[in-house]
Order: sequence, then structure tokens, then C-alpha cells
Amino acid sequence: MDFLLDLVDADMLRTTLVVATPLLLAALGELLLERVGLLNLAIEGMVGVGAAMGFCVVFVAGRTVPTVLLAIAAAALSAILIGVVFGWLTLHLQANQITVGLALLILGLGASSLLYRGVVGVTTTPPSIGTLPLWRIPGLSEIPYLGRVLFQHDLFVYVGLSTLLPVWWVLHRTPLGLRLRAVGESPKAVDALGLPLARLRWSALVAGCALIGIAGSFFPLSLVGGYSDDIASGRGWLALMLVIFGRWRPWTIAAGALLFAYVEALQFQFGVTSKAIPPQFLRMLPYVLAIIVLVRVYGRAQAPAALTKPYDRESRF
Amino acid sequence: MLGLVVALVVNALLLAALGANPVTAYSTILSAALGSVAGLAQTLNRTTPLLLGASAVAFAMRAGYVNLGIDGQIYAGAILATGVAFLLDGWPAVVLLPVVLLAGLVGGGLLASIPAWLRATRGINELFVTVMLNFVALFLAEYLATGPWTDPVAGEAITVPISAAADLPRLLPGGGHAGILLALPVAVGLSLWLARTRSGFEFRAAGSNPLAAGFGGVRLVRIGVVALVVAGALGGLAGAIEVTGVHSRLLTGLTPNFGYMAVLIAVLARRSPVATIPVAFAFAVLIVGADSLQRSVGLPPSAVLLFQAVVVVSILAFETARGRRLVARLVQATRRSPGRRRAGGVA
Repeated sequence: MDFLLDLVDADMLRTTLVVATPLLLAALGELLLERVGLLNLAIEGMVGVGAAMGFCVVFVAGRTVPTVLLAIAAAALSAILIGVVFGWLTLHLQANQITVGLALLILGLGASSLLYRGVVGVTTTPPSIGTLPLWRIPGLSEIPYLGRVLFQHDLFVYVGLSTLLPVWWVLHRTPLGLRLRAVGESPKAVDALGLPLARLRWSALVAGCALIGIAGSFFPLSLVGGYSDDIASGRGWLALMLVIFGRWRPWTIAAGALLFAYVEALQFQFGVTSKAIPPQFLRMLPYVLAIIVLVRVYGRAQAPAALTKPYDRESRF
Repeated sequence: MLGLVVALVVNALLLAALGANPVTAYSTILSAALGSVAGLAQTLNRTTPLLLGASAVAFAMRAGYVNLGIDGQIYAGAILATGVAFLLDGWPAVVLLPVVLLAGLVGGGLLASIPAWLRATRGINELFVTVMLNFVALFLAEYLATGPWTDPVAGEAITVPISAAADLPRLLPGGGHAGILLALPVAVGLSLWLARTRSGFEFRAAGSNPLAAGFGGVRLVRIGVVALVVAGALGGLAGAIEVTGVHSRLLTGLTPNFGYMAVLIAVLARRSPVATIPVAFAFAVLIVGADSLQRSVGLPPSAVLLFQAVVVVSILAFETARGRRLVARLVQATRRSPGRRRAGGVA
């Protein structure tokens, strides 16, 4: 009986929302890229760079409101920088997206570690910058159970989770979104219509990378308060899986982010209450779930038709 | 070639930005990795898993499959190898060592059979499954190294040592083990098999044009399973070699991203297993050299990832058609400009 109550424990559902925030942000960023036909395998590296950048800015400049905003902006910019290299190689030079993505993934992992070491140096105990203060929404946070789950977060979580709305709105309710989605299906058609193909792709690329970088900065700023090289520990990859799981649609991606975050929150809950299950098995769960989900969803999922395919205006097909 | 030059320049700038003199840094790297027998031993030790992993990845790529799971397969192979070594404790080295290495092959192959099976029966892209399994295998290794097999004295994720009879023979002083003698024939053998045998031809056909190969009677599903399982088994062998050659036990720091490096090496070697030999060696030089830079300049070990990525990105950029055109234009511009200046001088 206690076991069942644990499953809907207010603190655990609260943790679910916190953990879901970076997953959702990164997955929405990846969605924007994939919708214009770019499969970004460097996402894990971009998340890492965003995390290192976010940490370093606050570590150097102190934790005030402007420096935190600066840290988030710097995280977004650093991921965009990698994204620009990715775009230049895959869109302009038409190199293979998968190999370029993997090379930039490695670049991101190396760069984030180097950045941290360069700024912080070698320390025996990793420095902490503390996490953002919680912002209890007056009134609403007093509601017995829901208040604890929904209205006692830091600002990052509120803003991060609500990013879903503008992304969905732009992609599915505006002419711009229609054009972006068309790019991912048939760049040839978009080009033939005289639409600014390159500008559409680059704007989605920059916006998507910004979201991925911001997702990275969430880990030091909001969740951990410190930095380590394995801080993202595969969350970037999970975000990539979420896009498939969500079948390239924002709302289903959000549902998936909540599901994965819930599974991750389980380990915090049962890591404390139960000694019967070794923690490593709980930490495996999201990845095992990702494979199971892939099996269930894959056949029905419809990826953007032009995903990973280079487009050359001068080719006949 | 030009990509390599650009990469060296960019890396030199990076080193300079980090406060190191690029010339001394490069010479430190070379002398640390190649300048002494002990250094060479370390370099060959690092070459072994990179070479096995990269030739495995290149092999699978030839048939059109991307195996991103070498890291996980290294852990799977290491887990099974360690387990078997514990189980057969006391057996003589002549029997024990081959059995332990075989266990590594089986472990990696078993893990890779999951993506292979999912690809064969459901058409699921092996790329994602292999990455997810990396984490599963890592956490399984961590569980074993902190739980049932843990060394209570060590206080970290590390198991008790395996029997000394299962250690790989030493080749060089300074800890150089015989793993490289296993890795080299594997890389050469895979290339020969691809180039010289009928099944190797079918394999390449399936990779370059699956539709045509399918109509020609090539059994594509079987080739996919073979490609992934063999690649996984070689990854597992690399794990078993790491256990028996380097650490004599299972631990969680077994692979510092060897798997991702292996993919980069395979790409640079243009998917030819035998061509991964020099590239893997060069990557190993970078790793060992960067370790010594860490002591002299204070670079973190993961900085080497950045350098490798810069090399790969530069070479990828200059390999594309437009990249080559860009280079041609640059070369032309530099050739023309002195002429123009001379013309201006006359006028």
C-alpha cells in the first residue's frame, strides 16, 4: 500500500516536472531542427557545452539576476556556435549529417570539459554555485497537494515548460510553421515556390540550438548547482529519442518528456525508500524504456521525408 | 591532406589560447607518445581498443549499419570476461586466457544482438538502440563494480582483481600488452574478407545499394545481423583486452569515449578496416600525448576529444565537393595575388 502511495507522492511528481524541463527544452530544440530536415546527433555535446557555459558564467560573475540571464544567453550562444558549424558543413558543404553530428558531439564533450577546467582549474572539491531560488506562486502554492507539485518551482521550470506553447503555436498555427515543416518534407517544393529556403533552415537551426543550449544550462543553474563532465549523462540522447517517441509533434513530445522524467524521478524516490533495488538498475530504466518505446512506436512514426537528405538545387531529383 | 593542415593550425591556436606554446606542445605530444619504449607501450595499449572498435565500426558501415555502441560493447565484453575469469579462478593460463577473451567476444556480441534483432525483425534504426545500450551496459558494470564483485578496500567502483593467470602476456616494458597482436590481424582480416571473398562482396553490395543487392539475391537481413553482431563481438573483445591487459579487473572508467572515437576513426579511414590502423595509431598518439600535456600544461584529458573532433571536422569539410571547390579557389587566389601586385608595381 505504501508502495502505491509513493508512486503519486507530491515530492516525486514535483521532481518529475523539474527533470522534465531540460528534456522538453532539448527535445523541442531537436524537433525544430528535424522539422527542417536536420538530424542533429551532436545534441548531447550541445547540452554539455550549454551546461559548462551556464556554470562558468555564474561561477565567474556571481549569482545575480542579470548574470543568470547572461549565463543562459551564453549557453544558448555556445550551442548556436556548434550549430552554425553543423549548418555550414551540412547545408552549405552538404557533408553527411550523421558523421558531422558525431564529430561535433565529440567536439562538444571535449569543449565543455575544457571550458570548465579552463575557468575553474583543478580543485579537490567541485565548487558549487547553488541552485536558483524557488518561487512559490502566492495563493496557488498553498493548495494542499497540487500546490506542492505545480507551484513551488524556480522560474526556469515555469518558463522552460511553457516553451511548449510558442513552439507548438509557431510550428502548427502560423504560415511560418507550415513553411518550416514543408522544408523538412520537400525542400525542392519550398525552393520552387520561391520561399527563402536557406533562411528558413538557418532560423530553425539557430532557434533549435538555442533551446538545446538553454536546456544544458538548466543542469548547473537549476538542478545540480555544480558541474561535472557527466552532468548531462545521456539526457541529450534521451531528448533525441523523445522526438521519435513524440512522432515529431510538440504535444506528444511533452507527454513523453513527462513520462521519461517520471521514470527518472522514481530512482530518487526508491533510491531513498528502498534498498532492495540497486540504484544502478533504476538509472538504467529511462534507457531501457527508450528502447521499448522505440519498438512500440517505430513502425508508425513518420519522420520528415527529407530528414538527413542533403538538398542540392542543381540536382535533378 | 589540406584538412589535416587546417586541423593542426586550429589545434595550435587552441593550444595557444590555453596558454601553451603550440610548438612545444606538439613536440611534447610526440616525444611522450613515441619518444620512449614506455611511451610507445602506452600508445600501443591505447591503439588496441581504438583499432578493434574502429575496424568493427568500419566493417558494419560497409554493410550500411552504424554501430555507435562500441562503448557499451566494451563494457559487456569486460563484464563477461571478468565473470568468467572469476568463475574459472585457478585454471592454468594456457586455457584461461583464451576462454576469457572468448567470453569478451560473446559478451559484446550478445549486447549487439539486441539492436541486430530489432533491426532485423522490426526495422528499428540500430543507431539509437546501440546508444541507449551504452548506458545500460555502463550502469550494469557500475552495479557489479560497486555491488557483488566490489573490492571492499578500494572504496570506489572497482572489482577485486582477476586471477593473474588471465593476464595478457607483456610485449614491451612499461605495461605494453600483446593485445595489439590480436587487433592488427583483425583489421587486416576484415579488409581481406571484404575485398576477396564472395560473402564480402555481397556485404559491400548490401551497403552500397541494398535494393539492387536484394534483387540480386543477397540476404539483406542476414547481412545486417552479421554486421552488427560481429562488430559488437569485436567491441567486446576490446573490453576483454582492457580487463586482461591493462586493469586486471572491471571498473567504470574502462572506456574514455573509445566508442565515439572509433566512429570518427572509421569515418576518417573511409570505412576501410585496414586503413583504420594508421588512424587509430594517430589517435592513440594524441591521447597519450595529451595525458602528458595534462601534467605540463594542465589540460584535462577530455581536451583530446576536442582536438580529435577538430581534425575530423576539418577533414570532413574539405572532403565535400564544395569544400574542395573552396580550396581550389583559395589556392588560385594565393597564386594570382603576387602576380597582381607585380602588375600594380609596373603601372
